Amino acid sequence: MSNATISKEDAVVVERTFEAGVDLIWQMWTDPTHFKNWYGPKGFTIPVADMDLRVGGRRLICMASPDGSMKMWTVGEYKEIIPNERLVYTESPSDENGNMVSPSAMGMPEGYPAVTEVIVVLEDLGGRTKMTLTHAGVPASSGAGGGWEQAFNKLADYMETVGKS
Amino acid sequence: MVRSDDNRLDQTFAALANTTRRAILARLAEGEATVNELAEPFNMSLPAISKHIKVLERAGLIIQGQKAQYRPCTINTTPLQEISSWTEQYRHIWEERFDQMDDYINQLNPKETSNE
Repeated sequence: MSNATISKEDAVVVERTFEAGVDLIWQMWTDPTHFKNWYGPKGFTIPVADMDLRVGGRRLICMASPDGSMKMWTVGEYKEIIPNERLVYTESPSDENGNMVSPSAMGMPEGYPAVTEVIVVLEDLGGRTKMTLTHAGVPASSGAGGGWEQAFNKLADYMETVGKS
Repeated sequence: MVRSDDNRLDQTFAALANTTRRAILARLAEGEATVNELAEPFNMSLPAISKHIKVLERAGLIIQGQKAQYRPCTINTTPLQEISSWTEQYRHIWEERFDQMDDYINQLNPKETSNE
């Protein structure tokens, strides 16, 4: 169980079908104006959604609590962009300049990987769109995790201890 | 598979949404106990305690032994580990986000947005 926190198999898969065309759903993810209208917890705002929409381009998002007192930044990179079909980007907790910070320092759930990958697959159902989201942890050994691997191994060990008590 | 996982999670959350049941789990975290022992600290009838135990058992949070009279209960932490993983917490976060996307899409006039 503890190893799963940094495993590629450790992923959330959510499927939804929307009563909207595939081009609009694509814009929901890639057009900051649309993106800001649905992303984030209820009541939160998205003051920043910088999307350099090209492979290797940077994606910097800021979510702000309703009273603006708490800001959460995430940074990532676009990996795959196939308009109206497939979008892949990485995501990590960061500061406002896009420098990665530790997930636990940002109040992420225990065991949250330093780098996660979000995969959005759209299927055109003729006026309706099936969307499959996969949010997966990226193994720290891939290099993207940097110095966090050790910290996460420690955390995984700790969680195992807690689970056994 | 996703659907049955969701049902199980619902059961876990529902089972945990009760002070008495959380107290029973806290007691079992120290070691196995019989229904009588579990009922002791509570001002509650045995049938009432048994009802709580059934809810916890259905959610997979406790396992009741088959030894005829005593049937000691033990805690099963697997469902607790499931709801503590980041993926399960994020499933709820994404579901909520997509509810909001759906609401937003319904507010939009698709014909006006296609000119962006």
